[in-house]
Amino acid sequence: MHMAILKVFSFTLLLIVLFIWSGHRITQISGEGAFTVLGSGISVDNGEQIFWGQGKCSTCHSIGDRGGSVRGPNLGQSIVGPDIAIRAIERANERSVVLGREITATDYLVESIADPTAFLVDGFKDEMPKVYEPPISLNPEQITSVILYLQSQGGDSDLSAVLLPSVIRLATELSNNVEPWAPYIDGDSVAGRELFFDLAGPAPCAKCHIVNGEGGNVGPELTNIAGTRTAQFIVESILQPSKQIAGGYESILIQMLDGRLLDGVVKRETEDSLWLATADGVEFAVSTENIDRRRIQELSLMPSDFAEVLSVTSLHDLMAFLQTLQ
Amino acid sequence: MKKITWSRSAITAGVAAGFIICALFPENLLGIQSDTSDVRSFFGLSPRNTIWAVAQLHLLFAAFVLGVPIFAVIVEYIGWRTGDQRYDNLAREFIKLLTVAFATTAGLGGLLAFTLFGLYPAFSAYFISIFSPSLYVYAAFFFIETGILYSYYYSWDRLMNRKGLHISLGIMLNLAGTILVLISNAWASYMMSPVGVDETGTFVGTTMDAITNPLWIPLNIHRLLGNVAFGGFVVGAYAAVKFLASRTAERRAHYDWMGYVGNFIGLAALIPLPFAGYYLGREVYSYSPIMGNNMMGGEFSWTFILQGLLVGMLFIIGNYYLWSGMNRIPGADRYQRFIKYFNVILIVCLAIWLTPRNLPLSAEEQLALGGQVHPVLGYFGLMAAKNAVINFIILTTFASFLLYRRANKTDLVPVSKQGGGAVTLMMLSGGLCLLILGWYAGVLFTLLPESIGLGPEKAIYIRIPAFLLVVTMLAVVICVILSLRDRGHLAQVIYVATVALGSVGVLGVYGFVAMVKANPLLRQIAATQWLILMSALILVTAIDVLLFRGARSLGPIRWGEATPRSQYALIALCVTTVLTMGLMGFVRSGLRENWHIYGVMRDTSAWGFTPTTAVMTQMVGAITMVFLVAVSFLFWLSSLDRKDYVSTDSVEGNSRLAVPQNLGSDS
Repeated sequence: MHMAILKVFSFTLLLIVLFIWSGHRITQISGEGAFTVLGSGISVDNGEQIFWGQGKCSTCHSIGDRGGSVRGPNLGQSIVGPDIAIRAIERANERSVVLGREITATDYLVESIADPTAFLVDGFKDEMPKVYEPPISLNPEQITSVILYLQSQGGDSDLSAVLLPSVIRLATELSNNVEPWAPYIDGDSVAGRELFFDLAGPAPCAKCHIVNGEGGNVGPELTNIAGTRTAQFIVESILQPSKQIAGGYESILIQMLDGRLLDGVVKRETEDSLWLATADGVEFAVSTENIDRRRIQELSLMPSDFAEVLSVTSLHDLMAFLQTLQ
Repeated sequence: MKKITWSRSAITAGVAAGFIICALFPENLLGIQSDTSDVRSFFGLSPRNTIWAVAQLHLLFAAFVLGVPIFAVIVEYIGWRTGDQRYDNLAREFIKLLTVAFATTAGLGGLLAFTLFGLYPAFSAYFISIFSPSLYVYAAFFFIETGILYSYYYSWDRLMNRKGLHISLGIMLNLAGTILVLISNAWASYMMSPVGVDETGTFVGTTMDAITNPLWIPLNIHRLLGNVAFGGFVVGAYAAVKFLASRTAERRAHYDWMGYVGNFIGLAALIPLPFAGYYLGREVYSYSPIMGNNMMGGEFSWTFILQGLLVGMLFIIGNYYLWSGMNRIPGADRYQRFIKYFNVILIVCLAIWLTPRNLPLSAEEQLALGGQVHPVLGYFGLMAAKNAVINFIILTTFASFLLYRRANKTDLVPVSKQGGGAVTLMMLSGGLCLLILGWYAGVLFTLLPESIGLGPEKAIYIRIPAFLLVVTMLAVVICVILSLRDRGHLAQVIYVATVALGSVGVLGVYGFVAMVKANPLLRQIAATQWLILMSALILVTAIDVLLFRGARSLGPIRWGEATPRSQYALIALCVTTVLTMGLMGFVRSGLRENWHIYGVMRDTSAWGFTPTTAVMTQMVGAITMVFLVAVSFLFWLSSLDRKDYVSTDSVEGNSRLAVPQNLGSDS
């Protein structure tokens, strides 16, 4: 009797151990748990990472030979057609006829994301979600990056051509509405200070912000931030920097006569020159006569990926430090 | 005994009262006004893991408590109609186990509610604000179920001569249990597919809106079938352990037979489960393509491979048990030669079923593989291939049943000599098949391509599965006629071949065409495949019943002569089922990612992330072990009862209903 029970128990344990072993092997093989830290700001590289990761675009779309999804159109060169940048020109022409006004290839790409049901590709279901709404909730900066990435598939990326409709901003604000903030673990203000001033760390705030005379002068000084702003506002500014940009710190996009694009915060301007501060904390002058056009952007120069790059502990440490700045 | 009953009732009453009080005074009880925390830690442990373990254990016990009565009533009914005492004893033995497990389930349910209220107060408050009316109904049915369960158990002897009334009590017990499942499924499914919510996340609907959310019905079907399969396999494992520990031939015979019945019911419920799973998955896709894609093509694709492996093991082990059991049936050697072919089919199908399609791969991995998918084997990862092979697996398992069933039969009685009953059975089963197939053919013939997002020129793609259904209907008519003209074997071969060719071959390949040319049609193709297969299960079973009715037996099944290996197969079936349930619980819950309520209430806590597969298997493995040990303990407890329901008569079919006897036990 007892031997039989022991054998059954051992057999059961063996099955369970095999199951656990399978899980471990899968994790080892697939490299689960290793996450990619996105770079900050708008770029083709970030767009690529978002397309194949957080944006979940790749669960429906492949790009050429990359990816195996078939639910949405392949966006690379495939049996569906040429690369999406080329195909978008053709689609934009067809769309222009329907709308009765000219739209560009980039406008078509923007519309495909902002209103996926507007102009469906034949043979595919009307099931693409609005990626700026929950549960994906990409912010305008991330969506712009994805569009740059799509532009680069068979064409050149052109940030100045990307004009997101207000519906994306509104939806982002609605879906990312942060509840009144209360810490759920105790932060360490000393660790938070180190994090703030660590220029090689995940949140090199001092690159752009001054605290007690120390730090860069790109963004607003934070020496007394806790005395003037609520914890709610501070945490929102960290996680959603574009939601409310402090006056005088708006980012500006400049197109030079030679075609270069520059962006940064205007620190001062004379008749001949304009001093720009970049997200890296670098300040440099540009001759005003070489500027073709300029546009104030709705997006903050401050990186919007702190929700990804900061651990929960780090965020609480940072908040603990900032709240000491009375 | 009375003391035990009172303590059970006290637990039940306590849990129900807890639910009601929390529903009436959520703010005061939960401390919501004084504490705005979203999440609290559990003595320094992860609240997520705490809830995970408690919820999964409760679900497993609940599945047992709900699955076993379904099993017991079916078995009791068979015993009543056949007059075979063994069935009655088996049903009673399991209801005895149920009374012990019931209190544990209730206790775990209470623990789950209290840990949820304590650790996730904001979520609980939101949840109660929507579902509070359903909590009262739940509590009421809890009392009703408790009352019926004890009435059912304790009236067994008293109602021995009024079996109809007793079985009615059992059916009422199942109804009450089913209502409880439906209510709790509404809560779980609402978290995945919330409705009645405005764009700011505020609930503006009614409780009924929330209950009838898009995933409620598919989840109900999946869980109810799953509970029956689970109940059957747990019974099988219990019998296997008892068999291995038995010292007398009598007891071995009894537990050998019990294991067979458990496996039979478990496999019978397992057969439609993949379709219920497909339906649930399809509705997940319909509700949220993001969630759907994440399920099989995103973060959870590896867990689905693991799930495919477990479900495949269930089928293979279930088949192995049948094949192994044929050794104790006189005359079974005539059919042994087919087994190797069945085995090959099952393994090849399983390999195809496990082939991944859309795994997140690194650049190096893609380079090594020659692309995101293998140039040839990659096609096996598509849904069209998977639908085809699961049909083939089920058809093969069904064929194993048929072989087992006919193993000791010979000298058949021609159907034409079986009278009007045979004709009626054939007409009814044939008519049912024609009705099912004809209905869906009508649906397809009248389906507008535009309604599924296709252009009008794609109508031709819808016609092909519709025509195939018509061809299958013709085969039904031919097979019914052949059966009535004493060509039942030929009819079975023709129909199984038609189904294999149509559902697996033609529609399997056609699925690939549809994926490229008319992707949305794949759902209709899957439904066509399933209905054709179901028609085979109905028609071929009916033919088989008539073919072997009154046939001469080459000898009774030698119950008690099962091999120890076959008993370990039963144990493996039970363990694999529990692991699968744990894994699927993780997938269902994990699909919400960092949302308590998908797209509405975000989990902003430090634990709002998806664990790795390694962590998942550790948790599920640990929960499985705890559950099995707990169930074993409860089984042991119930064995302390002096009554023993083992029948003294191990010969098939000639023991009559009688009161239980005290034979002692092996323990």
